[in-house]
Amino acid sequence: MSKYIDLSIKEIHELLKEKKITPTILVNECFERIEKSDLNAFITLDKEGALKRVSELEKMEVPDDLLFGIPIAIKDNIMVKDMKCTCASRMLDNFVSIYDAGCIDLVKNHNMIIIGKTNMDEFAMGSTSETSYYGAPHNPWNKDKVTGGSSGGSAASVSGGLVPLALGSDTGGSVRQPSSFTGIVGMKPTYGRVSRYGLVAFASSLDQIGPMTRNVYENALLLNGISALDNRDLTSFATNEDFTRKIGESIKNFKVAIPSYFISDIVDSEIKNKVMDIKKLLEDNGVLVDIVDIKHIDKTVTLYQIIAMGEASSNLARFDGVRYGYSYDEPSSLDDLYSKTRRFGFGNEVKRRIMVGSYLLSGENAKIYYNKALEIRDDLQKNFFKVFDKYDLIIGPTTARCAYNLGENGDNPLKSFMDDILVMHANMGGFPSLSMPVGFNHEHLPIGLQIIGNLRDEATIYQLASFIEKNIDEDFGGVRNEL
Amino acid sequence: MSYKKTIGIEVHCELKTKEKIFSPSLNNYGSMANMNANVIDFGYPGTLPLLNKEVLEYAIRACKVLNLKITRDMHFDRKNYFYADNPKNFQITQNETPIGREGYVEIEINGEKKKIEILEMHIEEDTCKSVHSEKNSLLDFNRAGVPLIEIVTKPCMHSEEEAVKYLEKLRELLLYADVSDCKIEEGSMRCDTNVSISKTEEFGTKIEVKNIGSISNVGEAIKFEAKRQEEILEKGDVLHEETRRFDDKKRETILMRVKETGNDYRYFPEPDIPFVHLTDEFINNSLSSLKRMPDERRIDYEKSGILPINIEKIIANKEISDYLEKFLDCNLVIASNLLLGDISAYLNKNNKKIEETMLEDKKFRELVLKLDKGDITNKIFKEILDDLMETDKSIDKILDEKGLNLVNDDNLIDSIIDKVISENEKIVNDYKSGNTRSAKALMGLVMKEGKGKINPSIANTKLMEKLDA
Repeated sequence: MSKYIDLSIKEIHELLKEKKITPTILVNECFERIEKSDLNAFITLDKEGALKRVSELEKMEVPDDLLFGIPIAIKDNIMVKDMKCTCASRMLDNFVSIYDAGCIDLVKNHNMIIIGKTNMDEFAMGSTSETSYYGAPHNPWNKDKVTGGSSGGSAASVSGGLVPLALGSDTGGSVRQPSSFTGIVGMKPTYGRVSRYGLVAFASSLDQIGPMTRNVYENALLLNGISALDNRDLTSFATNEDFTRKIGESIKNFKVAIPSYFISDIVDSEIKNKVMDIKKLLEDNGVLVDIVDIKHIDKTVTLYQIIAMGEASSNLARFDGVRYGYSYDEPSSLDDLYSKTRRFGFGNEVKRRIMVGSYLLSGENAKIYYNKALEIRDDLQKNFFKVFDKYDLIIGPTTARCAYNLGENGDNPLKSFMDDILVMHANMGGFPSLSMPVGFNHEHLPIGLQIIGNLRDEATIYQLASFIEKNIDEDFGGVRNEL
Repeated sequence: MSYKKTIGIEVHCELKTKEKIFSPSLNNYGSMANMNANVIDFGYPGTLPLLNKEVLEYAIRACKVLNLKITRDMHFDRKNYFYADNPKNFQITQNETPIGREGYVEIEINGEKKKIEILEMHIEEDTCKSVHSEKNSLLDFNRAGVPLIEIVTKPCMHSEEEAVKYLEKLRELLLYADVSDCKIEEGSMRCDTNVSISKTEEFGTKIEVKNIGSISNVGEAIKFEAKRQEEILEKGDVLHEETRRFDDKKRETILMRVKETGNDYRYFPEPDIPFVHLTDEFINNSLSSLKRMPDERRIDYEKSGILPINIEKIIANKEISDYLEKFLDCNLVIASNLLLGDISAYLNKNNKKIEETMLEDKKFRELVLKLDKGDITNKIFKEILDDLMETDKSIDKILDEKGLNLVNDDNLIDSIIDKVISENEKIVNDYKSGNTRSAKALMGLVMKEGKGKINPSIANTKLMEKLDA
């Protein structure tokens, strides 16, 4: 079997330009691998559509667009016209989208080839992808381990070499945590950088679509491809910049902060040590690294639960069996239709979050909890701004522990939130944040480093990330070499 | 001691913007069902609301005419409740920051002016229209997302007359501000009222009457409701807060539902719409198209000598009143008579608007002037009406072609007058003995003799000269 999709996107592009390979070869490679794989990374595959698309591309002159003809996997909460969009829920098991999301318009404009829709936690609620109606995906590094979540299928598909590129969504770490667990690069861009139009809303003020890739450069490249002003999303903005432009520039005299909370006892010591190794690497290369205290940084799980669940309870109200999706067959009344549709259509975690969210917004609670949470969230953002007054970037671990066994969390809802304890700040403040692999633990499971930047400063994150990537002597493509 | 009524009114008005408030679908009453709806209106997963700036402009104009203070920094909130006509199962509305606060509408009751205080006005989206049959219910999404303003008064009215006057005035103001067509029968204006009665200073139990089909029915509903409540209290029974509706046929209010304590709408700020700051510039631009309000126009009409009954006829026909705004320097009595009379009749008969005829502003102005000066008579005007409306010919040309030019020839007019005077000695003598009305009779005879074609103003002057000589 050929292995062109394991080449870098630049190399693939050269081969396409020189007509040594065709997009069809790439697509066939992807499907051969997917068909052989047992990662349960995809919910829906579109081989027919993808092959039809590449046959059209083959009639075209290859443009100077590195993304041309590159296969991509899309998380199944992003609308792709004429494809199912299930959100890994029984509620939308047979739901076919009639429109393209804003970022999918761009994916199609760049002539990337959509291979299929990836597995995830139901409605993106979870951190292992185990709440999926279709069963959990498996971690390519060890199939007994979770991929993380909620974008677990996208993470597994890139990590496992099934596709070179994927899109995920990140409400409280759902791109970065699975990227960390599977040893790939995942970015949650600044809130508003990628249009949310066509992303099934979980928590509207936190949701953001982000690229998931094998390396830093390709991540920046994909972000170039999917970010643009979209008039259909009032929170969307654009700066029209090239996110790869600072890659390779010197990081000498950079100032980097590590929040003391990020290397406290909540973090596994192997991971902490790895972060300290990175600290040393940076210092050896002329970077000032300080350990700093940030007020409210330990309160994010509570904030997240209030804001995300409150918004989710409202966003998911539309799934009621009246207009689309699963609808209970023989309701005795309108109320019965609502309650049975939602009882049988949603899984436990989703129902739990809707109920908690409804409670939190109920009566006086909205003032006591939700409004208070919004205030503390503002404070937290200001505290991060203060750090960015002095420092270019903030670094720390992405997760407090590495990927663990499937089923280990059981039905304990709190455990799953604790996985995202280090990544939710970026969502709260709207900051861009990237996770990249920097090493392995004793079980040879990947360890992720998180880099948080100031608002709209993705380019500097990529600059530092690519420096670290270049200076780490580990092979994170190892899992793909076995294919 | 008798009971005192206390009344508060909530009015929902659909704004007649081109597009809906949160989607680019057309806002058009009367389209085929579900033609004006897209994925946003359907509450489709993944869709996000837009914000139609035109809605803000309209709402700002409404604030101005209702004397409301405009909230410069405002946002939208989600009101969460499940119902089949509510596509997202939340309605986007304004809970914390209504666009307008603390305004009033001035009415006149028994010759005295009274300010009806408005607590607030907020912007929100309309729901689907439900059509119920025995077997099932159908939804029309054309109405989902149509912009609404809700105007809430303080509980400051004490009679059905006040309530009716308030609603009539409110309707007039919103109509003249060009924000809504305020058609209750089409649902573009909906009235709910709260009625309570009490013998003391403390308010009684509040009963809500919803969806009343006309302004006069609001008055009837209040009257009925106050009487019903009084009967219950007089029996020694207790009233409970409840929602009722007014039955058009039975002419009475009917229980819909008993109010449960504290509706829980789980309000929170809409995260998909950034907070809005209304700048001076935006507000001024919104107000620049605001025309003069009816009370101001009434003053001009009164000054010009239009009869009170005609003034109200003009105000009730906004198209005519707006048209008259261009001719305030003309003889308004003549202009308004033309518009209310023959021109309206012509337009109705031909199902046209005045802009759709060939009667340009310049032509209308000349017509009024000619009638004023006596250059043409009413009789002649009637004869040339069709040509005025349907051709681009000038008035003079029409008169020429039809041979309807008035005769200004002094000798001819003199001879006609002399003839009439000599043939009607009795009437002339009546005049001379002090019966001034006889002059009018003579003038009529002069015009008749001249076959309606002599210039009446010249003839009149000459006639009087001769009679008084």
